[in-house]
Formats: sequence, structure tokens, C-alpha cells
Amino acid sequence: MEKAPERGGGERNGSVLSVRSVTKTWPGGAAALSSVSLEVRHREVLVVIGPSGSGKSTLLRCINGLEPVDSGEIVVNGIRLGREKKSRDLVRRQVGMVFQSYNLFPHKTALENINLAQRLVKGRTLAEATEKSLALLRKVGMEDKAGALPARLSGGQQQRVAIARALAMNPSLMLFDEATSALDPEMIGEVLDTMRAIAREGTTMVVVTHEMGFAREAGDRVVFMDAGQVVEEGAAKTFFDAPAMERTREFLSRIL
Amino acid sequence: MGNNTFKTAWPSALILAMAALWLFFSSLPGLGYHWQWYRLPRYFATFQDGAFIPGPLLRGLAATLEITSLSLIFCFAAGLLAALLSGSRSLLARALAALYVELVRNTPLLVQIFFIYFVIAPVLGISRFWSAVLALSLFEGAYASEIFRAGIASIRPCQWDASYSLGLSTFQTLRHVILPQAVRRVLPPLVSQAVSLVKDSALVSAIAVHDLTMQAQVIASDTFLVFETWFAVAGVYLALNLALSFLATLIERAARLEQ
Ligand SMILES: Nc1ncnc2c1ncn2[C@@H]1O[C@H](COP(=O)(O)OP(=O)(O)OP(=O)(O)O)[C@@H](O)[C@H]1O
Ligand SMILES: [Mg+2]
Repeated sequence: MEKAPERGGGERNGSVLSVRSVTKTWPGGAAALSSVSLEVRHREVLVVIGPSGSGKSTLLRCINGLEPVDSGEIVVNGIRLGREKKSRDLVRRQVGMVFQSYNLFPHKTALENINLAQRLVKGRTLAEATEKSLALLRKVGMEDKAGALPARLSGGQQQRVAIARALAMNPSLMLFDEATSALDPEMIGEVLDTMRAIAREGTTMVVVTHEMGFAREAGDRVVFMDAGQVVEEGAAKTFFDAPAMERTREFLSRIL
Repeated sequence: MGNNTFKTAWPSALILAMAALWLFFSSLPGLGYHWQWYRLPRYFATFQDGAFIPGPLLRGLAATLEITSLSLIFCFAAGLLAALLSGSRSLLARALAALYVELVRNTPLLVQIFFIYFVIAPVLGISRFWSAVLALSLFEGAYASEIFRAGIASIRPCQWDASYSLGLSTFQTLRHVILPQAVRRVLPPLVSQAVSLVKDSALVSAIAVHDLTMQAQVIASDTFLVFETWFAVAGVYLALNLALSFLATLIERAARLEQ
């Protein structure tokens, strides 16, 4: 049984993710990302903010190879993401992703959702996988819903199961794409609490969110994106008080 | 839902059917047909010295069941394969799938049966029976592939994303995530396809496979029990397909409860 994941460059403060001059253009010709560069260190929580259509989702999808990039380089834990299947598989084993729309498998129970990839990808036995899944369900406060199908769960509950499902693969890096945006207001808190708990444990995370409170208190650094570019980057504690760029100020004034 | 309208409508349908039968039988005297139903049962089965001996109709039914159940398995396999090929990134695979589906759907089944029996079977050295199974599987498979394709396309792309992001391969994603959902969704059209298969299987009598229809032809021409034989045989096909639909309703209900 593996415990903590192997971390290629994983000593303290080593770089877990580096994105270098990544550019992506959609077939139509619209630029989704233009020369985006950023670095995420071990145990760091990077928060990505920006207006709708600024390329935040595209960036996350490129990081785990769901979308190919046109140029530039993405390196996760020392593994360079290339076009070939091999590197993509290796990177996906290192990266967990949580989606806005939860994307649980509707024909499988909460427990089966979490077991599936452990068994198929990690090769764990049913007993090993179930033990791990139940521990994670307990962690996200869902142990009593292990046997429930997603349709029987609230949005917040589904998202917590989805988080557990991603964590079960022992990823070195967790990506959250607006994990609370589809939720009713009263459920946002429970999911943010779960994310805070994971962050406190030292999980390396990239979090796309509109929850500025969460960004300020759980984030280490904040990146502001607009029109496919990184406009500004700074420490989470100070970013919101003194944004340097006009575009950032304008965005924050609209959203805060 | 279609199912519900069917359920509420079928008592009236039964009354309609009886009325039609009554009309038919009351017009018979003019036709001068002499009914001899009592002669028919022996063609289903006879008892000799307490032993049950299946007659030609029962043997024909067994052959029909054998052909259709084998064809059902192979037609779903062919349909699934063609659906996967048509969704593949390889141009060759997509072209192959398109060729198969278009070729099969734009030529008559009877011609396909003859083609396979007279052209392909001698080359492959396969029997009448397997020619029949092959022809039916390929024919129904082309339609099944469209059904599977629609089912796969109906699954939202984010299910693929979620599965890929967990590290599953394309095959694992299809096998464990996409197909279980897709098949549940297309169960009703798949059942219609199975019903079509049972009906279309009657055409294999054209290459002298001794299925239910072939036996009926022989009996009708040997005994002149034309009406009795064809009434009975139509009834057997009807019962077979109603049973199939009933079975499908049960499966569908179980699948829905599980959701
Ligand atoms: N599959 C696609 N094909 C073409 N264009 C796309 C595709 N996906 C996204 N886009 C476009 O790329 C741009 C960036 O989209 P993206 O989803 O990354 O933005 P976002 O920052 O996540 O926005 P939001 O806050 O609304 O989620 C948008 O203009 C969008 O319309
Ligand atoms: Mg987005």
C-alpha cells in the first residue's frame, strides 16, 4: 500500500507545477491562453481569479491534459506534459481535479465512485480501495452516504464526494474549477470548509474561485487572469488590499 | 411516456382485435373455407407411448429461438463495435464503420441473406444455419450501431473529463463510465431492435433453414391447412415478441429503480 505519493521534485518548497509561456488558441481563432506562466510550490495554495471567459478553466484543463496546448511547457512534479499518451497518463496520476458540475458517475454509489479509479488505475484491491474510500468519506463528512447514488445527494454532498474521489488517488496537486459556483448558497460553506481542511493538511492546490473570502484566508498566492493572460500576481494576504493594475482594481470593485 | 399509453390502450386494442377477427370469420362462409383446427396440434407435438415428440412447428420454433438468440448477441457486438469505430479518431475506422452501416441499411435483407449464403458461405465454408446467423447479425447490427452511437453521444462530455482526470484510459472510461449509462438510456430502442430481429428471422426460410416460417410453409402446402397454420404461426411470433417486450419492461424498471 502506498502512503504519501512519490514526489519527483517533492522536497519542501520544491516546485510541483510550473507553467511556462503556455499559449492556446481555439480552432475558431479565439485566444484562450496567451503566454501564461506560473509556478506552484509544494504545499502551496494558488488561487486563480478573473472574469468569465478569461481562460481559468482552460488553464486547469491544460494542466491535466484534458486540452492540448499550442506552445509552451507544463511540468508537474518533474514530468513534462507532452502530446503523447504516456506523459499525459503520468501527469494525470499526479493531478486530481474537482469540477464545477461535480461530475460524479450517476450509475455508481458514492463509495463506488471513489473506488473505481483506485482499482483501475492504482490497482488496489476492493478491500484496500474501500478502506481508503471510507476514510475519505469520513473526512468529508459523508460516511453515512457511502451507499447512496449521486441523484440522492444534494449538490454540496455530491461535491464533497467528488473531492474525496480525487483525493483517493493521492494526487500531488489538486485542481478546483469553481467548485462552489453551481451550489445553492447554503451549501457553499460545507464545500469551502472541506477545501480549507485539505489546504491545512498541506495539499498543493490550484483553486479557481469567485469566493474572495476563501481566497484571502486559505490562499497563499493569488493570480488575476484576464483575456487569457496573467495580469497580476501577489500574496493572498495583501493582494486584495493593494492591487497594482487598473484591470485588477476594476474587476475587484465589481466583485467585492 | 410511451409505455404508459401502451398500458392504458391495450384493453381497447384487444377489443379491436376481437372485432376484426369476428368480421373476418363472419365473412368466411362466402369464401367456402373448411376449418380443420383439430388437425393442427399434431404439428406442434405428439404423444406416443407417453413420450413427448416435438412436431415440426415446435422444432421450427426452437430453430428460430436459436438463430435469434445467437444473432442478438452478435448483432449487439457488431453494433457496439461499429459505434465505437465510428467514434474513433482514426479516419480508416470511421470510414469502415460508415461503409458497413450504409451498405447494410441500403440493401434488402433478403438480398443480403442470399449474398451471404451463396457467395460468402462457400468461401468461408459455413453452414446454412451460420449463414442465417451471420446475415441477421450484420443486418440488425447496423441499426444497433446507430442506437449505441446515439446513446454514447447522449452522455455529457464532462463524464469523460471526470474519468480522464482520474487517470482512466479511453477504454476503461467507455467500459466503466460511458457504456453503462448509455446502454441504460437506449434500452427501449434496443428492445425494438430485438423484436425486429425476431420478425426478420422469418426471412432465413428463403435459404431453407428450418425455422418456424419454413416449417409452416411445408405444413401449409402439404396439408392445405393454410389458414390454421399461418394463424398459429403468427400467434407464436406475436407471443414471442410480447414476452420479449415484457421482459424488457422489467429490466427497464429495475434499471430505473437503481438510478
Ligand atoms: N471547447 C471550446 N471551444 C472553443 N472555445 C472555447 C472552448 N472552451 C472555452 N472556450 C472559450 O475560451 C475562452 C476561455 O474560456 P474558459 O472556460 O477557460 O473561461 P473561464 O475563465 O473559465 O470562464 P468562467 O468563469 O465563465 O468559467 C472563452 O472565451 C470561451 O468562450
Ligand atoms: Mg470556467
